[in-house]
Amino acid sequence: MTHRFLNCFVVTVAVVFAASYAMVSDIHAQAPVPAGTRDANPASKPTPHLADGRPDLNGTWEHGRGFAFGRAQTLPDGSVCVLGCPEATAAPARGNAAGGRGGAAAPAAPAAPNFPKYKPEFLPKVKDLSDRQVQTDTVLQCQPPGVPRIGPPAKIVQNAHEVVFLYDDVNGSFFRIVPTDGRPHRKGLPPSYLGDAIGHWEGDTLVVETLNFNEDTWLIDNGAFHTKDLKIVERLRRVGDAIEYQATAQDPAVLVEPWTRAQALRLSDHELEESARCEDRDLEHVIDGSHHDNPR
Amino acid sequence: MRHRLSCLPAVLAVLLVAASIAFAHHSVAGQFDTSKSVTLKGSIAKVEWINPHIYVYLDVKDADGTVATWALETLPTRMMRQAGLSKESVIGSPGELITVVAVPARDGTKHLAWISKITYADGRFYALGGNANGQ
Repeated sequence: MTHRFLNCFVVTVAVVFAASYAMVSDIHAQAPVPAGTRDANPASKPTPHLADGRPDLNGTWEHGRGFAFGRAQTLPDGSVCVLGCPEATAAPARGNAAGGRGGAAAPAAPAAPNFPKYKPEFLPKVKDLSDRQVQTDTVLQCQPPGVPRIGPPAKIVQNAHEVVFLYDDVNGSFFRIVPTDGRPHRKGLPPSYLGDAIGHWEGDTLVVETLNFNEDTWLIDNGAFHTKDLKIVERLRRVGDAIEYQATAQDPAVLVEPWTRAQALRLSDHELEESARCEDRDLEHVIDGSHHDNPR
Repeated sequence: MRHRLSCLPAVLAVLLVAASIAFAHHSVAGQFDTSKSVTLKGSIAKVEWINPHIYVYLDVKDADGTVATWALETLPTRMMRQAGLSKESVIGSPGELITVVAVPARDGTKHLAWISKITYADGRFYALGGNANGQ
């Protein structure tokens, strides 16, 4: 009975993920793309390279996820519908939106529901954490979201020796430094939210291996915990003005198999800003366990 | 197969709940009563441009002249930024009469609500989700 219930839980989580993706994709699919502000196929452009011959990953990259559940609309009188907008009849919102991160149709979301497969003995823990997410999810308490939950980098700074990932997350501004000159993982560092990363090139693909995570973060929403032995391998391949991003979580102590999350990035002309201070004041007022998804 | 079909009622039930939450703009419904709304008129005393939710403090004068300051919660800064809105555009002009349609807190906390729609003296408005009445 318990086993059947847990199976139902996993199936239910998967279906909800599918519905969520479909809903967000559909919202984005309905949003018109301003003429002249977007490339229909950024991957069709030539892929630039740096002097060392590596693909040039430098730039600000958008992936159309996060909290952009809908597309803002600006009316002629300056009114703005930010959320819950009706079918677009007005001009796209001003500011960063035109040609920027939030104002245009997003790259396609993953096509299939995607949740890590846990060993049966850990399903009760996942369910418990998910049921009590309002209390157990440190992301809802303004803590760093960890990897890969933080999502792809919002900006990449690259030279011949290292690559730096920058994030303007709702919980704060974060960075990850990825040496690419053959240095090994650092020793003696305390476990951290974003871990210790090293990178290398496999042809045109930057491969980033990250270890030494603390156990305060989840792989994704809904109770997807991990152990301190988590290893994340990210692969970034620039194709024209797009990046194919993939993150794979390896945590064999609790996962049946490695779990992979793939996202499509496209080059943006929007510069990052320092994230506003994160200070949660909601939890003391939330009266049930309902919560929104917290994608990045 | 039969085993999987036995999950169907649970899946449908959770989908209904998830859909209702989603259409109520996610966790707003966990903290605010999206079936109710309150219309407030006053002037903005302060805006806290913070995450995960911006706070707008609105001084509202009661019929007896007593001023109550409402803490009005709204979207994350990035969503506002992406929509081309800034702290300054939300604050408006000093002393400007602002009308807010808001969704009250479910736990009964006084003077705490989620902004559904904020309208300025010149008629322009920002629709911020939470309640269909405000949009």
